[in-house]
Amino acid sequence: MWREKLQIHKSNWIAALHPSCKFLVVCLYSFCALLLASFKVGEGEYSLYTIAWFVIVPALAIGSGIIKRFWNAFTKVLLVAVVIIVVQSLLIPGGDTVAQLWILKVREEGLRSAIYLGFSVMNIAGIFVWFFQTTENKEISCALEDSGTNYKVTYVFISTLQMIEILGQNSKTIMNAQQARGVETQGNIVVRTRAFFASLVPLILGAITGTEERVLTLESKGFDVNCKKSRLFQIEKTGREKMVNTIAIAITVAIVGWRVALWIL
Amino acid sequence: MDTVIELKNVTYTYPLADEPSIKDMSIKIERGKFYGVIGENGAGKTTLCALIRGFAPSFYNGELKGEVLVEGKPTTEFGPGELSLKIGYVFQNPFTQISGVKDTLFEEVAYGLENFGVPVDEIEERVIEVMKMTDIYSLADKKPFELSGGQQQRAALASIIVLKPDILVIDEPTSQLDPEGTESVFKIIEQLKNEKKTIILVEHKVDMIAEYADEILVMKGGRLIRLGDKQEILTDMSLLDEGVQLPQMAILGERLIEAGIPLSRVPITERQAAEAIGQALQKARNS
Amino acid sequence: MEKKYSIKKDFSMIAILIIPIAVAVNFVGGQLASLLKLPMYLDTIGTIFAAMLCGPWVGATAGVLTNVVTGIANPVNFAFIPVNLLVGLVTGYLARGNMFSVWWKWILSMFIMAIVSIASAAPIVVLVYGGVTGGGTSLITATAMAAGVNIWAAVIGTEGIFTVLDRIISFVISWLVIRVIPDRTLVKFGCGNLYIKKKKQEAPAEVK
Repeated sequence: MWREKLQIHKSNWIAALHPSCKFLVVCLYSFCALLLASFKVGEGEYSLYTIAWFVIVPALAIGSGIIKRFWNAFTKVLLVAVVIIVVQSLLIPGGDTVAQLWILKVREEGLRSAIYLGFSVMNIAGIFVWFFQTTENKEISCALEDSGTNYKVTYVFISTLQMIEILGQNSKTIMNAQQARGVETQGNIVVRTRAFFASLVPLILGAITGTEERVLTLESKGFDVNCKKSRLFQIEKTGREKMVNTIAIAITVAIVGWRVALWIL
Repeated sequence: MDTVIELKNVTYTYPLADEPSIKDMSIKIERGKFYGVIGENGAGKTTLCALIRGFAPSFYNGELKGEVLVEGKPTTEFGPGELSLKIGYVFQNPFTQISGVKDTLFEEVAYGLENFGVPVDEIEERVIEVMKMTDIYSLADKKPFELSGGQQQRAALASIIVLKPDILVIDEPTSQLDPEGTESVFKIIEQLKNEKKTIILVEHKVDMIAEYADEILVMKGGRLIRLGDKQEILTDMSLLDEGVQLPQMAILGERLIEAGIPLSRVPITERQAAEAIGQALQKARNS
Repeated sequence: MEKKYSIKKDFSMIAILIIPIAVAVNFVGGQLASLLKLPMYLDTIGTIFAAMLCGPWVGATAGVLTNVVTGIANPVNFAFIPVNLLVGLVTGYLARGNMFSVWWKWILSMFIMAIVSIASAAPIVVLVYGGVTGGGTSLITATAMAAGVNIWAAVIGTEGIFTVLDRIISFVISWLVIRVIPDRTLVKFGCGNLYIKKKKQEAPAEVK
């Protein structure tokens, strides 16, 4: 059965959760992360809870059985976070000196800002990494359509991903051809800028010629027809979505309650 | 006579153009026949196709005088998508006919059926059948944009045929293909002919037209200059002066007759040529 | 003669097909720029192209979508969605306002485009990342900050010159491509009538 081959089956139930369920988790998690970051803890008033909260992200990645893929994608986020933490803690003056190494001083205010910004970025970007590493683009577009998003929007989304792949290949071909024709890609900045033009202009031209024909092709294939479209690919639900949603909402409500209580008391 | 498409005194001008691309053209296209459209570049062949399919004026805008009727109804009165099920349209460039949103060729061919809301079980059945007919079933799980030009063009044909239109407008499907690709595309067109589809094919390879078409439409400067049986038109040497290409076999036959070899008729295909020359040789031997 | 614009008409079928190309051009431009070691990002060429040809909202969509897609690989990019949205909007409105027609208007436009980008990126860099993102110019910014220069001045100063250059190159490439598109095709684009070489007396055809 061909249709069967097109479906995505995941053995891990957390990874297999419906994208809309996972997306709710992402949104609530990010909201909680920001809320927790506003809790100032102890004498230094550092946002320590947001560090603790971050434990959930790797835990989810491990639980979803994608820790390797997660780590590969997360290193980019980590790099940004590390830069933020280092820069903030070293460069922002103010408060007592917490630690000192040669001429580098870490002051209280710097450390406060470092933790606040660094872990907020790690939390929010991290949970998104989890989402995208457990969800395929096809599932995202399918879930969007199911939730009533216009088919033109999902068309643009999926077509964009494919176009990036196609133009990426074309740019390599054009670059090679330009080099073979003697367009220099090394040398001073003027030479390199010229090479940039020589590669990019034909690339864009090649991509847009035939756009009219592509419009008509889509029309020939009923793109614009006003009827309910059928779809070979369907996303499955695991049956645990309700439970996960409930837990996520319950935790959020608890944290909001805690925060409100702290304000009032 | 069962007319499916009719042009009544049609004159059409593209936006910003100085003069019309189609000038006062009237024709009747009969159901179930295969029309080959020939003529030099800029003769208005593609515009004729666009008019029949309604792309002109619905997409290209411009100015249309006269009427283009499909099954008696003006093309301008069809709703979106309605004409897609009646008239299949295949373009020149294989690459532009890919939807851009499908990962496998199987899904690519199924795309139109999905849009028309055909039930999934039926989609699968029809797609497999068409992919086998167009000889691309073995490529079903390949990425559409990584195929060769010939494979892509067969896929383009497949994704239109799968919609089961009665009429097919095919605009220079082989101009960007190698001989092998051309051959495979014409095999498919031949099958469509056997299924009694109405086919309108624009093609520069006039030898192919001679082989497969029933009727020939000759265009020049936006006008229809000839319409009729292929045997009659493709052997009319005066068309050479109009910039129209004729089959090599017809020209060969004409030369042989000029040289005094009594052929029973001017051939337009290799098979006819072999026959006629054979007969002439037989006669010569007998006398 | 005034042409009436509407957002719905902006998103014609042809515009829908231009958006993916624009995003892919942003990608390839950025990759090529770093491959050729150019001191600019050059990753908004597609957005500028789409905005010039199809108007501000199509341009903005291309801009947003670029960051959504890069965000899939690195969610940190989501924070910069407003920057690319504004690149599209501003370029589109400048195009419609005929702000690329005379040389002094053109130079002014380049500066407006650059200033809007910096002005929208700076608050995000400062407020979300505390001034440094780990990108190419981060080191200069960090050094300036360490030398006691005001954090806002540091961010804006390092980005400034290169952003203007970036916009000029991006514009010129888009313009070169648009010049090659035949008039017959240009009329199909929302803002295509602005670039038609031969003007006819009659109104430009309505875009489907």
